[in-house]
Amino acid sequence: MKSLHPLTWWIWSLLTIGAVIRADSSWLAGSAMAVAAILVWRFAVAAPWAKSFWFSLKIGVFILIIRTLVGVLIGVPIPGTKLVTVPIVPLPHWLAGIRIGGVITQERLLSSIHEGLIIIAVISLFGAAVSLTSPHKLLRVTPVAIYEFGVATVIATSALPNLVQSVTRIRRARALRGDEKPSWRSIALPLLEDSLSRSLELAAAMDARGFGVSRKRSRYRPITWHGLDSAIVLTSAALLAVTLAVVR
Amino acid sequence: MINFSRVSLVYPTSTKTILEDLSFEISEGEMVLVIGSTGTGKSSLLRLINGLVPHHTGGILAGDISVAGISTRLVRPGELSHLVGIVGQNPAQGFVTDIVEEELAFGMEALNIAPDLMRKRVEEILDLLALSHLRDRAISTLSGGEQQRVAIGSALVMNPKVLVLDEPTSALDPIAAEEVLSILHRLVHDLSLTVVIAEHRLERVIGFADRIIHIAGDGSAEINLPEEILKRSDIAPPIVHLARALGLSQVGLSVRDVRRMTDDIRANGKDLEVFEPTQGEVAISTAKLSLSYQGKLALHDVTTNIYNGEIVALMGRNGAGKSSLLTTLVGLNNEAKGSSQICGLNSKDLKGKTRREKVGFIPQEPSDLLYGQSVKGECAQADKDNECAAGTALALLERIVPAIDPDTHPRDLSEGQRLALALAIVLSAQPQVLILDEPTRGLDYQAKTLLITLLKSFAKELNRSVLIATHDVELVAELCDRVIFLAEGEVVADGPTLEILLSSPAFAPQVAKVMSPRPWLTVSDVLRAVAQ
Repeated sequence: MKSLHPLTWWIWSLLTIGAVIRADSSWLAGSAMAVAAILVWRFAVAAPWAKSFWFSLKIGVFILIIRTLVGVLIGVPIPGTKLVTVPIVPLPHWLAGIRIGGVITQERLLSSIHEGLIIIAVISLFGAAVSLTSPHKLLRVTPVAIYEFGVATVIATSALPNLVQSVTRIRRARALRGDEKPSWRSIALPLLEDSLSRSLELAAAMDARGFGVSRKRSRYRPITWHGLDSAIVLTSAALLAVTLAVVR
Repeated sequence: MINFSRVSLVYPTSTKTILEDLSFEISEGEMVLVIGSTGTGKSSLLRLINGLVPHHTGGILAGDISVAGISTRLVRPGELSHLVGIVGQNPAQGFVTDIVEEELAFGMEALNIAPDLMRKRVEEILDLLALSHLRDRAISTLSGGEQQRVAIGSALVMNPKVLVLDEPTSALDPIAAEEVLSILHRLVHDLSLTVVIAEHRLERVIGFADRIIHIAGDGSAEINLPEEILKRSDIAPPIVHLARALGLSQVGLSVRDVRRMTDDIRANGKDLEVFEPTQGEVAISTAKLSLSYQGKLALHDVTTNIYNGEIVALMGRNGAGKSSLLTTLVGLNNEAKGSSQICGLNSKDLKGKTRREKVGFIPQEPSDLLYGQSVKGECAQADKDNECAAGTALALLERIVPAIDPDTHPRDLSEGQRLALALAIVLSAQPQVLILDEPTRGLDYQAKTLLITLLKSFAKELNRSVLIATHDVELVAELCDRVIFLAEGEVVADGPTLEILLSSPAFAPQVAKVMSPRPWLTVSDVLRAVAQ
């Protein structure tokens, strides 16, 4: 594939996220995720950041489950078809208005899942953009005027892929200690340390090499915007336009 | 060129003075080596030169540092980028782009240098560092030595007056290290570049250094000629230890110098008796083991046996398949073909407790194994896992490295201490086989000696086997009985340490080079030969 402009997939995914939120439809959220998955599967290069999408999907599913449980068990019931009844947890009287447990209706379950789906879609579209764009290339198009932002962007965009790499490495090491299914808590500490030190190292390297010293930057190889870039961005722009026009 | 006047440094969250009242001057075209134990502030000293410390780390800096007349206190590190090039300990973490050519151009782009000038300089650097054939490659696909060269190139492309390198050869095999160092040597001589370099493996760099800065660890530091420093310092390469042990009048720094002084020893030394190793039971056995990643062959038909009581080194160039073999042995690569067994069990079947009891593995980053909040907690977890009496692991750690405060956080330990902790945890399960991946990376001589004693007693007294992947020929000479040499995933040589190390000049330890053609690898070999 011809190399695309580094901002293309970012613009595409931001516009699509806009459309998904605006349309508020789980059908659209689902298909956007499916399209993103196909794109990543087809076009992502074999680079450490390419795994970010699948990682973000996992995080999304985790959030969906938690949200659904919380949404179903706590809060105001929505009347409708009754599925099951969970015993109500007695709460002190000053917590009036909040209820844990009670009747779970189909409507309440569906609305929770629906909201969760929108959230997964947003997270995974962001993950897709990270997977499809080299964070290094992205840096080169960031204007120098927003220096701090540039550094932050590079660190943020390289942090997720680094995280994925570190998780794999640490899990393997842990399995060797006889800990086949290490808990998240036990991975989190070395992980945090690892990604923090990497990010600091990268920031120091950028600083030492003069990033942000000059207001203007020259280009060794110009990064050009091709017709294909416009086409990709147009598809999502069209989607957003449609949702803006149709959904009231 | 570089001027330190009365420099003291304290980091914000610590009470320890890293450097105290340090004054020295480095002139143009000098190559200065910074030595010191781990955690004494070598990296801090290097980063002071371009102002990353304290601009990037915080900390209190007293005194003044100037490079080519510019005080680092007054400018940001970036504004010195045309004067000082810096190459970090782990170049892979400092790359900002992903293609070799773009990486080289990054610094110049940031300084808004005109495109045609950039093109010219990039071409020059590609030629100088022999990188032309790699120009379009993705950096992540390069070998360690190539990455190191790219990192040096992207610093040099700015035409700096000073080049600062933090352990540039620690991850490299002897041949790649030699390449990198000879390039630096040429730059110093041809372009009058000033080079400041920190390194633990003195045997690799000592021949190139004009002066040495020795950081003692209590804040004081000494700068002097290499001969003067090495006369007294406890940090010294094997040939200096050799000169001291033999009572030579001078310390020679090159193999040639010491050879001249030891003619009679080579002539009169007695032959050492060769110990026939008694072969124990098979501990590790592989047959036709192959592994490929994404269509690339990492291991090809590896067939070998390792016996109880044996210490075996796994050597080979960067990317030869050493780590792949180790991880396959311990059962982390399930897609491997052929058989690999540890103590009669298939590697793939090793799980949980059995795995701990059969094989202990120390990965390249020992801290991956650690997750407790304190040394004490870490050891308690190991005791619980292994169902042994409380305090077993801690007692073991105490034996390896005395006087570690049990309440310390593992993150705050030095490199050597962290390795010791990982070893204590792994060994407390009493594994039959111990496997280590590059254990001496970043270790100082003291920690290395400790490691050698420990592994020897583990293998010989308990009759267990040890397998080490390493680039460190001095370690292999001191420790190992046998060497397996890998190239492109195949075993190309397998035999006694003496035979394998002496057969290739690049992998011969320093003492062997001095004593060639006599087959003595270490200082103690020579002493035994003389004493007989």
